[in-house]
Amino acid sequence: MAGIFGFYAFGEERENWDSKKFVYYGLSALQGRGQEAASLALYNYEANSLEWASGDGLVENVFGRIEQERARGFLGLGQVSIEKGDYVIRVEEPIQLALAGDGKPALHDDRHASFQMFAETLSNKLHEMKDPMGAAKSLIEDVRGGYSFIALTKDQKMICGRDGHGIKPLEVGAIGFDIGAVASESSALDVIGAEHSGYIRPGEVVVLDPLSIERKCFFNKNHAHCSFEYVYLARPDSYLNSISVSKVREMIGKKLAEENPVKSDIVIGVPDTATPFAMAYSDCSGIPVRLGFTRTGRHVRSAIKPSQFERIVGVQLKLNPIRASVDGRDIVLIDDSVVRGNTLRNTVYNLKRKGAKKVHVRVGSPPLIARCPFGTEVPQEDELIGRALSNNEIAEITGADTFSYLSIDGLIDSIGLPKGSLCMGCFTGRYPEGSL
Amino acid sequence: MKVMGIGNASREHAIAEALERSKHHPMIFWLAEIRNPGIFEICKRSGGEFALSKTTAPEKVASHAEKWGVDFVIVGPEEPNFHGVPDELERRGIPCVGASRDVAMIEMSKAEMRRLQWEYGIKGKLLFKTFRSSQEAYTVLERYSDTLTWLQNIALKPARQAGGKGVKVVEDQQLYLHDEKQRFKSKHADWLEGYMKSYSDIDDKILVEEKVWGPEYTLQCFADGNCIKGMPLVQDNKHAHEFDIGTETGGMGSISGPGFTLPFITKEEYQESLEIVRALVKAIQDKTGKIYHGVVAGQMMLTEIEGPTIIEMYSRFGDPEALNVLGLLKTDFVDVCLAIIDGRLSKLDIEFDDKATVVKAIAPKGYPDNRDLAKNHLVSVDEQVIRQENCKLYWGSASLSEGGEILSAGSRLVEILAMSDDIQRASRIVDKCVPYVKLLDGWGLFYRSDIGSHELLSKRIDIADRVRRLYQYRRSKGILGKRIDWLPRVGKMDPVALLKDELSKSKEGG
Repeated sequence: MAGIFGFYAFGEERENWDSKKFVYYGLSALQGRGQEAASLALYNYEANSLEWASGDGLVENVFGRIEQERARGFLGLGQVSIEKGDYVIRVEEPIQLALAGDGKPALHDDRHASFQMFAETLSNKLHEMKDPMGAAKSLIEDVRGGYSFIALTKDQKMICGRDGHGIKPLEVGAIGFDIGAVASESSALDVIGAEHSGYIRPGEVVVLDPLSIERKCFFNKNHAHCSFEYVYLARPDSYLNSISVSKVREMIGKKLAEENPVKSDIVIGVPDTATPFAMAYSDCSGIPVRLGFTRTGRHVRSAIKPSQFERIVGVQLKLNPIRASVDGRDIVLIDDSVVRGNTLRNTVYNLKRKGAKKVHVRVGSPPLIARCPFGTEVPQEDELIGRALSNNEIAEITGADTFSYLSIDGLIDSIGLPKGSLCMGCFTGRYPEGSL
Repeated sequence: MKVMGIGNASREHAIAEALERSKHHPMIFWLAEIRNPGIFEICKRSGGEFALSKTTAPEKVASHAEKWGVDFVIVGPEEPNFHGVPDELERRGIPCVGASRDVAMIEMSKAEMRRLQWEYGIKGKLLFKTFRSSQEAYTVLERYSDTLTWLQNIALKPARQAGGKGVKVVEDQQLYLHDEKQRFKSKHADWLEGYMKSYSDIDDKILVEEKVWGPEYTLQCFADGNCIKGMPLVQDNKHAHEFDIGTETGGMGSISGPGFTLPFITKEEYQESLEIVRALVKAIQDKTGKIYHGVVAGQMMLTEIEGPTIIEMYSRFGDPEALNVLGLLKTDFVDVCLAIIDGRLSKLDIEFDDKATVVKAIAPKGYPDNRDLAKNHLVSVDEQVIRQENCKLYWGSASLSEGGEILSAGSRLVEILAMSDDIQRASRIVDKCVPYVKLLDGWGLFYRSDIGSHELLSKRIDIADRVRRLYQYRRSKGILGKRIDWLPRVGKMDPVALLKDELSKSKEGG
């Protein structure tokens, strides 16, 4: 998984803009989509070439003193990723270009290698066809998978697109009469002060050049937007494909309360993602919501940390229980998803150590049972507790008094799109037809 | 009857066509700076003449009108108004539908318009400051940005109407991007100073206004000196590209209806906007002692701070907005012109069709900033297909050669109008026609498919709903139009009082 961001200045005075800071803050807003690597590429007008900068770690660590970054330019793009070394792709020949990608084209098992091949093919096609729209069209027609991408060429063209199913999101915004911006999530547009104006459609290619914006939609495949984006990946302040992530999460909380009600004293959400689930659960059930945990250190997305050690440490630092909230009470504990179960086990244990009488675990998504072929980091299938064990078994192992998931229909209803227009692959093992 | 028109864009083609539809069957004469194929054809058909001439030289224009012996003249674009073409025509006893120079000041000087509005206490105002140099502008922007906080979020404009160019809207809300935006503001002030060098008819060079947000719309009206009659509202789209991205243009397309309002503007807001335009015309007549007869338009925005608010004024029809309203006009346009000339507008019932309309402009790549690239491409249009779709094509920046070939002239090439029961349907009909406009040398054309789409329309409705809630709340609290600030150590600041003070001082100072 990754977060991608593009910045394009228009007009006679476009050279007066430096995209660097916009890319920096845009990527910071997308940090939740990848905390291991950050990279950017800018078009340098004076040198008439692209310049790159990259490093492992958080955006602010990699580009901490962005003012001092040598690279400068009025066009730019960037990427944050969940894998170290997974930077913006650099292609020199035959057409120099930079490419940021989210998801995974079905070209190689490795995400980065897959986008490398994707970018090289784009460069070749641009060279052969001389027509960016045609080149991108033939590329997304040929390449299966679930991906969205932003490419920037040396001749000042920004080419953006999504696979035919629209599995991965790509949103568009504008600043004044000057700037167009493209981002994995609309919240990145908010953060740079852009007006969110819409999204790139599944199978659509948008080409920005100094004189025009061309958009063409090439497919009418079944839409299959990633449902996990709405459950966990995206920020609650984002809109993806015109749907508010926050609204979906409220609905999930409500559904959880309806599907598996339980008598309890308080509701607690596992921060940060499950907090809105818990609030809506409380509204619907009438059980009061309480703050259950306080964090030590910065916000870390523990579930997408690469090693088991980092995940557990992440959770332990993130989730110090507040004893006064939990002591002597029956608790509904809401989490967004359960992958291997060990962080949940740790959390339930901590709550009980602090005096919780009962812990009823409710999960805001169906059991994760299959891998994601589109680049979202889901572990090997034999590591998935939801695939291996029943609810009762999971309750027993984690120490929960009861344990239940959101139903698949509950999730579909919460998102509010027709059943056929979502990718539910990680919950069902069935992927959109023709995507693999 | 003989009628003469001035100007060469799609708007003027639409005017010529509205004249041609008249039951008076006037002979139509035209003066333009390029040979617009559509207007040329109409002149020929009606038994009139088409001549190339400078349209901003009052003497030349008036001589043509005398030579042709026309009954009246109608002016399309703003520059002939600014140069006193209507004044010269009237001096020679030729009636004219067009704002004379003094009253056209409400368009020519965006700064004077704002001063007038504040002086006469007309609603829908914005805070503003004017500057004679970029140096002066950024000194003030730097120095007062702490005390006059509105100076952070501004529109930077040329103080004069300058072909719809040079407006930058800079919302400088995020402190972490302040340096970038501040730099852009000062660079743009420099650019404006340079750009305004070619206009010597105005002292103010740079206008800074508070930045507002909300849905925009144009209210075009007929005016005869006594009475103002509003036409259906139209919404223009100024951004060059899809998704509301990119450079400011003269307008890439416009929507209207069905009926007099838009899906995101209420009847009450229409009425309030009309009152504002009325008051402004009354004020300029009062100030100059001259009569306003012609077309006047308010380029409006619904804002949080004032409700319906003037962004700019037009002393003529908008382009493309003219196409929407003239396409809907059921009353004989010549009768409307005669009523304007004779001051009988109040007695004339002006009717419009109840349909929704969509206009989209098609321009060669290069418009609006690199017009040389957009020029001199051979054009081909399949007008028959466009007619079959019940659309109308209006020639814009296109020039008909002696040999009968049509060449692009650098600006919006054609505009296509469709009417239907709703905006989205009309939009789709126009889209069907677009591929039938081509440049024969393969140079690219662009247009905006999203104008009139469900997506864009819902976005406008959404923004309008939010703004409406805010300004109606302010109204209910009696604080509409108030802008009070509190600054630590400084105390309460009232930028409205400060501005009024400044205006009355400069008035006393002459």
